[in-house]
Amino acid sequence: MNRFLDILLTLEFETSSLVSVIAMALYIVGLWRLLEKSGLKGWWALIPGARDYQIARCAGRESEGRVYSLTGVAMLLLNLAVTLFESFSEDAVTLMLIAAFLVFLLMFVRFVYAIRIFSGLIEVYGIRRRWIWLCMISYTRWIPALIWGWNRKYQPEWQVEDIKAEMARLASSGSATVMDEGLSVNLTDRTVTEFFQKKVLLRDIHMNIPQGHMVLLLGGSGAGKTTFLNAVNGYEKAHAEVLLNGGNMYRQYKKMQYEVGFVPQSEMMRGKDTVLNTLLDAAKLRLPKDVSAKQRRERVNEVMDIFGLKPVKNNLVEKLSGGQKKRLSISMEFISNPSLFILDEPDSGLDGVMARELFEQLRKIADTGKIVIVITHTPDRVIDLFDDVIVLAKDSARTGRLAWYGSIEGARKFFGRDKMEQIVKSVNRKEEGGDGLADEFVMKYAKEVA
Amino acid sequence: MTENVKPTRSIRVRHRGRGAQVWIYFGKLLRMFVYQSDWKVLPMAALIAGLVGMVIRRRFFINMEGTLMGAFAMVCVCIWNGCFNSIQVICRERDVIKREHRSGMHITSYIFSHMLYQALLCLAQTVVTLIVTTGVGVQYPAEGTVTGLFYVDFGISMFLITFASDMMSLWVSTLAKTTTTAMTIMPFVLIFQLVFSGGMLTLPAWTEPLTHFTISNPGLKVIAAQADTNHRPYATISSMIGKMRDSELGGTVTLGQVMDLLTNEDNPTIAELRAKELGGVVTLGEIRNALEHSATFETFKQEHIVENVTVGDIVDIILKGDEFANLRDQDLGLPGVSLGKLLEDITASARAKPLLETQISHLTTVGDVLDAVDAAGILDQYADKEIDATFSVGEIVDLLAGNEDVQARRDQEITLKTTVGSLIDLVGEDKVMSFLEQKAAEASYVKDYENKMEVVVDYWLSLLLFIFAFAALATITLEFIDKDKR
Repeated sequence: MNRFLDILLTLEFETSSLVSVIAMALYIVGLWRLLEKSGLKGWWALIPGARDYQIARCAGRESEGRVYSLTGVAMLLLNLAVTLFESFSEDAVTLMLIAAFLVFLLMFVRFVYAIRIFSGLIEVYGIRRRWIWLCMISYTRWIPALIWGWNRKYQPEWQVEDIKAEMARLASSGSATVMDEGLSVNLTDRTVTEFFQKKVLLRDIHMNIPQGHMVLLLGGSGAGKTTFLNAVNGYEKAHAEVLLNGGNMYRQYKKMQYEVGFVPQSEMMRGKDTVLNTLLDAAKLRLPKDVSAKQRRERVNEVMDIFGLKPVKNNLVEKLSGGQKKRLSISMEFISNPSLFILDEPDSGLDGVMARELFEQLRKIADTGKIVIVITHTPDRVIDLFDDVIVLAKDSARTGRLAWYGSIEGARKFFGRDKMEQIVKSVNRKEEGGDGLADEFVMKYAKEVA
Repeated sequence: MTENVKPTRSIRVRHRGRGAQVWIYFGKLLRMFVYQSDWKVLPMAALIAGLVGMVIRRRFFINMEGTLMGAFAMVCVCIWNGCFNSIQVICRERDVIKREHRSGMHITSYIFSHMLYQALLCLAQTVVTLIVTTGVGVQYPAEGTVTGLFYVDFGISMFLITFASDMMSLWVSTLAKTTTTAMTIMPFVLIFQLVFSGGMLTLPAWTEPLTHFTISNPGLKVIAAQADTNHRPYATISSMIGKMRDSELGGTVTLGQVMDLLTNEDNPTIAELRAKELGGVVTLGEIRNALEHSATFETFKQEHIVENVTVGDIVDIILKGDEFANLRDQDLGLPGVSLGKLLEDITASARAKPLLETQISHLTTVGDVLDAVDAAGILDQYADKEIDATFSVGEIVDLLAGNEDVQARRDQEITLKTTVGSLIDLVGEDKVMSFLEQKAAEASYVKDYENKMEVVVDYWLSLLLFIFAFAALATITLEFIDKDKR
């Protein structure tokens, strides 16, 4: 068993013979230059585990690189544990069996991920796929690494972006004046840390939305629309200050969360409950404690009247049509009469007529003094119902930035486009089929508001 | 940015707290029982109980192995029921929970409402299982260890095992993001529970600590303790011997080998056998009665004790026998004349020759002698006289071993050929079986299965600990639900 385990570990770590040590040294030499060609530091090639992740970055396979790197570290630790255990105990058949199983499992995972990563690298270098065979075997991996790294004929189609430099280039500043009424957003940034790497999802977004405004939120895929809305309502905390009618969304989140109605994109409701019971439970949860049962029922009836749900009040939710489900989903949030109403693609799956009806109802809600923010991918059919538009764009540092906040007409002039969908296209990246003007508009808007 | 910050307005509106929210969700779950067909778990429990009950009914609570097997089967039923009650309940509505959490739902309230609802479901399943297993013929004992009623005690144990498994699955359901993932994890959890129950399979020593993390371990122990497994007969041995009845036993040994075996006191079994005392205190009256009714003794009385013996033979024996040395030296009252001297003179005398050649008797029997001495009369006279006739097997063996005749025949071979059945019949089958079952049960005694109130309550507390631990884990895990929003 020990012999079997040794062979498995040797296959992976190449440390058992002079040949394998030479193979590893050559691989590092090749990889050093390969990383430099992709715009990364060459010395990463010296660090076990980290070099796996960096090569994955060169191949545009970051998430695969994390798994590949972690499994490599896990195997290294397992190897260490086995060596230590062997020196302490002679009776280790069962543990060796388990270790062998784990090593085999990790090797299999690494094999699959190696295929993904080196396939990506082959695509980046635009070379023939048959190179993959040399990449699969750790004893021969040094050959492609040396050739691609040191032969000038092989050049990557793109380099790993220097996000920090890009962020510095596109820096902006500003702030929005806090109002007693309405929504004030002063967002410096919203970051996440993935695999020890900090990523900025949103940056420098400042705005004031007055009460009674219905606002359209536009942006391409990955521009950070949902992240922005979550940051605004305090669900995902950002480095920001958000005030709604004078109340701080972050500091008083537990209290303020009832002042925000967030309607998610998909209908997140229990299909096996009736419409009436769904709304009654929502009322119990969202309305203040001192509201009597009679008042709750009256409010539920009122909301069902507004959204046309009375005829189906005893139906199971799963039996409702797509439009009815949307309206029920909105009703659940509307029941607490929130000051800020946020809707993430409420018209998805609805035809033009139903979507129009829905947006008209939202307009009526806004007219009662509420702030309504809506994400939609088909804005032009209902654009006349909106007061303002927010345009978010992903800049070249892959961060969501504010490219416009203001009136619809102002947006048309600012972007030089009539249709909202054309505005979205203008800020989308080229590889996504857009015009790739995000950086330009972000900087232009920043200068305009400065 | 800071210069724009104004004092935030205070918000005094109060919404429903954790306690009130529990009842909102509990009501919702009761509705789900009807609309979402959660009620289906009850007929499923009945079906499973029926199938298992039919298999275990003949041996559960009857013998040790059947009781252990039955206990394991019942634990499996409980774990299965519990696991499938809740394995999908949270992951299937993860999105809904996320939304409601955002709207002010407390995770603690949500989990606690599930605990209440699942407790009801587990209780119903326990009742159904008990009714169905009784219906198919499982014979439950009447007396319980803790409450006095076995059904109540056993029901509590089954409920706790089912509920603990239910909470464990609830936790798995909070860990899994989708129902597919949950159902993929489930078999591993079940196998872990069954393999590491610690009761049915012999585990490697290093895996023993893992049994402390299984619900099946205290589950199996509590049922085995309540079923008084330790005091159930060990039936496998009887069944094996029954199957071996026709097996032939045989072989050739020498008398010396047998004697060596019986005198070897290093062998604990032989030493025990040798120490065994036989006989006891008897009265002469009892001996006489026994002899009077004994056919063997009647035959013995007809035996000739002397045959063709002359007076000269008797005198010769007295003169030559070492045992008569004292008699020969006895003084007869005449100076220089001892009995020996007198007898020697008589033997040498020609006149005494006809007397010496006279045959005393050729037909004297043991009976005649006994009659002559009036043995019966003497025994009657001393009928109440007690005789201590206690002796050990070892003494008899040593007597035999020291016997010259036996020593002379040490190399004599004895060939034995018999069947296991014949040997058993020699002692009596019932006696052998009950002896072996009792001894095997004593050897299989497990301290963990002691049928004592404190032992049972201890296991119940362990199961309760599992319930609350898994509920706490489920709550903690679900509190991180916001982290998977991206």
